[in-house]
Amino acid sequence: MTTCIKIAHLFPELLNLYADQGNLAVLAKRAMLRDIEVSITQVKLGSQLDLASIDLIMLGGGSDREQAVVGKELLRYKADLQEAVDAGLPILAVCGGYQLLGSYYELANKERIQGLSLLDFATIAGPNRLIGNIAIEWLQADGSPTGKTIVGFENHGGRTHHNYPALGRVLQGHGNNGEDHFEGIQYKGIVATYIHGPLLPKNPHIADHLLQKALRYRGFFEPLSVLDDELAFMAHNAMLNRLGVSMMMKEK
Amino acid sequence: MVFKRQRIRSTSYLALWFGKLVYFLLRVAGKQGTSLPGWLLWRIRPSLLQELLQQLDQCVLVTGTNGKTTTTALIHAMLDNTKDPWITNRGGANLIQGVLAALLQHVSMSGRLLAKNAVLEVDEATFPHVMTRVSPTLLVVTNILRDQLDRYGEVDQALTLIRQGILLHPESQVIVNADDPLSASLGIDRELTYFYGMSVTPHHDPNRVEVRDGAFCLRCGHELQYEGFIYGQMGYYACPSCGFARPTPHFTGVHDDVKKNLQVTETMHQAESEVYSFYAPMFGIYNWYNLLSAIAVVRVLGSSPRILQDRLKNYEAPTGRMQTFPGSPQKILTLIKNPTGANSVLRAIESDAEQKSICFTINDDDADGRDVSWLWDIDLESFVTHTICQTYYCAGTRALDMALRLTYAGIRRDQVEVIDSLEKIDLVTKKAQGKVYILSTYTALYKLAAQFHEAQRSKAVQRS
Ligand SMILES: [Zn+2]
Repeated sequence: MTTCIKIAHLFPELLNLYADQGNLAVLAKRAMLRDIEVSITQVKLGSQLDLASIDLIMLGGGSDREQAVVGKELLRYKADLQEAVDAGLPILAVCGGYQLLGSYYELANKERIQGLSLLDFATIAGPNRLIGNIAIEWLQADGSPTGKTIVGFENHGGRTHHNYPALGRVLQGHGNNGEDHFEGIQYKGIVATYIHGPLLPKNPHIADHLLQKALRYRGFFEPLSVLDDELAFMAHNAMLNRLGVSMMMKEK
Repeated sequence: MVFKRQRIRSTSYLALWFGKLVYFLLRVAGKQGTSLPGWLLWRIRPSLLQELLQQLDQCVLVTGTNGKTTTTALIHAMLDNTKDPWITNRGGANLIQGVLAALLQHVSMSGRLLAKNAVLEVDEATFPHVMTRVSPTLLVVTNILRDQLDRYGEVDQALTLIRQGILLHPESQVIVNADDPLSASLGIDRELTYFYGMSVTPHHDPNRVEVRDGAFCLRCGHELQYEGFIYGQMGYYACPSCGFARPTPHFTGVHDDVKKNLQVTETMHQAESEVYSFYAPMFGIYNWYNLLSAIAVVRVLGSSPRILQDRLKNYEAPTGRMQTFPGSPQKILTLIKNPTGANSVLRAIESDAEQKSICFTINDDDADGRDVSWLWDIDLESFVTHTICQTYYCAGTRALDMALRLTYAGIRRDQVEVIDSLEKIDLVTKKAQGKVYILSTYTALYKLAAQFHEAQRSKAVQRS
């Protein structure tokens, strides 16, 4: 029987701020190269989200206005989403998508964009936007280092504080809030981050991490075969170099 | 009758002379086209902008998100003549300092503008500053397409700024793009407004996944329905909910690829229509839009098509707007700065059946946009299924990001070649067969243009 996973891209018509189709292209290509079938469903506003058939959710970022629309729309599914998250459904949430997982995003004018409260944290707008290239050290869920880095671009006004395991430790850049030197969240199946660029092309190890999670969620446990990622790591290392980060990624 | 000032205020003389001195010194130092004197004047004497603009008899403003530079150059080429010179700001110097620098070159020491007409390209953010200081004879909006900056919601912002500027001057004539729902919304139900649009067989290719930011009705928020797309959000649209729809153009263009001409059907005065055609050697649908809007401008100003056809023959493309450098291989340099612009350039390249390579030169300085996410919004996937390129070269600070993007679009790794410095582009692309299209972001563009000019010059010297 062929190995097959289903990815849901939530509201691509609204949450398309940071070229998230780039992330999907990477997931699909890397699966295809391993003879894993991938189907990507675009869930648009007003259409039905059938969580039972989904193995991975991609939730991108949009403007504040669009984020509010999506937050409202997704509230219908809150109970189902919570159940799926608890069961380990992999979710890649970037920027606005990250903020939506929490309880709210408070704007500068104190207005609150309601989140889904799938996780217990909140985001509050800071006085300025945190913008620029970023490099972090990827951490294990227990907080110990993986020896691998993640690079990309961040651009967010919100400051997020939380008590979950972070995706990584900031080597260069701002991260969750520009204060505690942590970036993102890793919790059960969730990978949430402010890093885009998009995230996955230059970080193929994170793409594989997500694919592996999705496969396990579907019930496939074979390890992923190794791909030729020379170009991806050249681009990855060029960014580390530019940021003056000495830790280098080696090809697997 | 409005009092028309003939010269600047006496209190502005010192600033003007200082500006002219700086301009003169820069010229002596061999620097041209810099807007430094304009920048200084705006700092020390901001009222000069108004004092100069108000001396104009005819003032044409060109704004919008894409195509301003080419459109301005086309209008200038069709209007400027020795008897009646037109002032313009060349090469995309579309901020206040660029406008001031252009005017400064035509002011006498006594503060009188020596040329009385101007066609000025104005950046969306600069637009309100200019509109509060002058009542333009005519104003043309090229289009309002998604820019990399929209990532901060600036499309809405640009639209708002342009709308507010237009509202200040109900007496000005306005020309807008009927095919772009965002631009068209600026002109609907407005007096003294003319629309232009293309009559083409619109594509209905389900494989094209371009960004369509204008796809929602500005009046009621409902999703617009399209009978066909032309490019970006442009096409034949209508709102099923409130009736907002593409207005009937006063200037309709049909482009003939083979004859390389643009036929225009003009119905400015309802009664009868007039048909004339222009030789249009430039290619790419976006360039035909630029030409069509430029023709609409000069026709509304009252020039005859005959004169315009003649003057257009002397038109040269501005830097990086499909600028051709002869040689072997021939190089064609073009600016890309956002997905919609890049997609339309790629469409133009698709229509070229000859042997070709592409060199993407991607920098990430402030003027380019530091975030290169937009590379992933370019519809390369459909490009590679529609055309064949020999080699894809990648240069600039983000050459590797671009190379990676290309391989994910299905291009073989051995077809992608990374060039590690801009200086080497000339040498490395020597081996390319056919043409090389060079698609460059802003900060690399002028360096490359200078480099290619220099290479041509030294070759000419060798030959003689
Ligand atoms: Zn409507």
